[in-house]
Parts: sequence; C-alpha cells; structure tokens
Amino acid sequence: MLPIDAAAHSSRWRRRHPADKAVLGLGLTVLAISLPPWPGAALVLVTALAVLLGPAGVPARRLWRAYRVPLGFCVTGALPLLVQVGGPDGFVSWAGNGPLRAGELLLRTSAASLGVLLFAFTTPMSDLLPRLVRAGVPAPLVDVALVTYRMSFLLLDSVRRIRQAQAARLGHTTRAAAWRSLGGLGATAFVRAFDRAARLQNGLAGRGYDGTLRVLVPEARVSVRFTAASLALLAALAVLTLVLERPLS
Amino acid sequence: MHIAEGFLPPVHAVAWGVASAPFVVHGARSLIRDVREHPESTLLLGASGAFTFVLSALKLPSVTGSCSHPTGTGLGAILFRPPVMAVLGTITLLFQALLLAHGGLTTLGANVFSMAIAGPWAGYGVYRLLRRYDVPLMAAVFCGAFVADLATYCVTSVQLALAFPDPGSGFLGALGTFGSVFAVTQIPLAVSEGLLTVLVMRMLVQSSTGELTRLGVLVASAAGRKPTDTTGAVGR
Repeated sequence: MLPIDAAAHSSRWRRRHPADKAVLGLGLTVLAISLPPWPGAALVLVTALAVLLGPAGVPARRLWRAYRVPLGFCVTGALPLLVQVGGPDGFVSWAGNGPLRAGELLLRTSAASLGVLLFAFTTPMSDLLPRLVRAGVPAPLVDVALVTYRMSFLLLDSVRRIRQAQAARLGHTTRAAAWRSLGGLGATAFVRAFDRAARLQNGLAGRGYDGTLRVLVPEARVSVRFTAASLALLAALAVLTLVLERPLS
Repeated sequence: MHIAEGFLPPVHAVAWGVASAPFVVHGARSLIRDVREHPESTLLLGASGAFTFVLSALKLPSVTGSCSHPTGTGLGAILFRPPVMAVLGTITLLFQALLLAHGGLTTLGANVFSMAIAGPWAGYGVYRLLRRYDVPLMAAVFCGAFVADLATYCVTSVQLALAFPDPGSGFLGALGTFGSVFAVTQIPLAVSEGLLTVLVMRMLVQSSTGELTRLGVLVASAAGRKPTDTTGAVGR
C-alpha cells in the first residue's frame, strides 16, 4: 500500500463521510488558487497545515515526505519565471518582477497542494471510489477504477520482487544489463496484470459474476455540523484575505 | 511532466478541463459499451489501468545519468488505443494526484489533455502511419513512443506558456523559456522511453502473442500462422 493511502486508512477522520472532507480539503485548494496569493494563499497554507497536524492528526514526518514531492515540482516550474526572453538587457535576462511572480506561484501551489493532501491523508481510495456511483459517475467506469486501484498494489509488489530478483542475478551491474532488466520488468508487469485479470475472471465467474463488482462500503453520514464549520472556516478565510489585502500589500 | 496542484490560474484550469472532457467522455462511452457487451472486460481494463499506473512508477535511467519516470502514453496508446487511454490515463492521473501527490486535482484537466490525450493520439498516429508504409514493427513502436513523450512535453510547455506569458516577449518567449528548461531533460527521456518501449514490446511479442493479438496489436496471418516479432510479424 502506498504511504498516503496507508495513512488515510488509519486516519482519525477515516469514519467521516468523504463529502465532509472534500468540502474542507478541496475547498481550501479552490481558495488557494482563487484568492490573491498574498495574503490569501498564505492564510490557506497556515490553516491547512494547522488542520492537518492538529484535528486530522497526520504525523508531521509523513506529511513532509508526501509534501516535498509537489514542492519539488513547484520549484522547478517556478524557475522559468525568473528570466525573460528578448528584453533590452539581452536575449535572456533576469525578469524584473520574476522573483515576485515566482514567490506568488510557490505560495499558491504549496497552499493548494496542502488542501489536496488534507483530503488524501484522511480519505482512503476504497471509501471514495464506490461512492462516486451515487455522485453520477457510471458504474462500469467506477468498477474499472476499483480494479485498477486494487490491482496496482499487487503489481507494484510484483515489480519490487522482480527488481530484487534481477539485482540478485547481477541484472543491474552494467548499463546494458540495466536496460535489459527494465524491459523485462515492464513486460513481466504486463503479463502478470493480464494473468491476474484472467484468474480473477475465473474466480468471479464461479461466484456468479454478472458484470458488477459489489464491495462493502463503511457506513458514514454527511455531518451537517462538520460541513457547516468547514464552510464557515472557508468564508472566514476569504473575508480575512479581503480585509488584509490592502494593508499588507 | 505533471503540472503541480494550484499551478494554473482558475480560468486555465477550467478551460483545460473543458477541452479534455469530449475526449474523456468519448473514451468513457466506448469503454462502457464494451463492458456492457463483455462484462469480463472490466477486469482486463482494470489490469490495463494498473499496468499504466505501474509503468509510470518505473525508474528510467536518463542519458544524463539521473533517472526519471516514463509517461507510458506511447505504449499505452499502441496497446489499448487512444480513446481507452483517455479514460485509463484520467484514472491513473487521479490516482497519482491522490496517492502520490504527483499532479493535482485543479490541474487534472490540463494533465489529462497533455498526457492522456495529446501524447497518446500523437504517438498512435505516428505508429499507425509508419505501419501503413510497412516500417518494421519495432521502429514504428520506437517512433510512436518517442513522439508521444515529446508531444506530451510540448503540450505541457504550451499550457505553461499560456498561463505565464513572458513579460517582454509574451506567449512565444515563455514557450521558448519553458521549452528550453524542459528540453534538457525531456528529449533524452523521450529517447529513453522509446528504447524502453521497444524492449518491452519485443519481450511481449515473444511471450504474450495471445494478449497482443486479442488487443489487436498483432494480427494472425491469413494462413493461420502464429504472429511473431519483426522477423515475420503481422503488426496492425
């Protein structure tokens, strides 16, 4: 199981309805990209961090391990904003407001990422996917996504074992051997995926498979109090940003 | 290659979502039709989605000495066709956003457009074109995967340049800047992905002719001969 999903399964908010957490987490993300980066995204960032480490109970180390990935992408993507092409100072020169634009972008992306991480760290995919049918997503699509989700872990585990076996047989010692091993890894993953699908099909056929995958979904109700509190928090952040925008800019 | 969460302004995020929607809906409708006619397809499609997800998690040695991840769009498009890849790619990108913190939900539309639509269609188009002119299977596979990777990176550069035009030279200047920054890593990676795809396809032709024939990548000859690789294969 992947670290974020494993953390979501043992989350303090695991039993909450995904809609509750979507309103809060994804609401914070929408605010982060809609409000002015300063002070709006900064306020969203602090709030999301406080909720993640406080009420949601996400361990700081796990959060950092997941958060550094999007941060790395954000920094790489913001670098081109520091330069401009074809100005009076030469073909490529430092952009005058480049650091400001890059800083605002970093603020916005880091705040938005935390909002999604709040949702991801508290909502296991197995709780979310079956409920998408009620949200109007066609059942066959959800079934394909469910099989993809469950089979991904098995395949990732297989790939890890194959890589260990290849390493034990000196399959990574030279560049040519590493390429050959990588090709073998990809091909074996394909063969294993289709072999598992065929065996799953046989097993399900023996149990009267009619084309729909029925799975148990933990009972949970949408909490009016939680959702109202989340909406109030989001509204307060928006109002605070509008109030503070002029004095702080 | 993923555009990170919150990177695009809201208008751009919505616009790319709207641009991707017809392709994803078209793919979803054909997938649903297929599943209703053949219920067992659910499991094969799920396996294909899992394979796409795992393929994007493989570490690819780069020419520069570092390593990165293949997009898998070229191989996916050749194996499963672009309409199906639009759906499987969307599912994969959703999982990557929520399980790996790669990409994002507000940038899902833009990422779907570059990685699940533009890349697969461009790669598949080149592959089919070359096969029509009897180019050997593995050469066509290499070109398809190379073009799919490169098209994905070009579209991502366009998306970023549209969102962040250069203060001096506008969209074209920004496209040059983003393109130059990514080209350093992405052109060697596109070559690497092409090579990897050829290696995977060669092994699949040797070990999984049944699956490849069922997927339509290989077709049995009129004489009923078992499909083989480039030495005598009948590739679609």
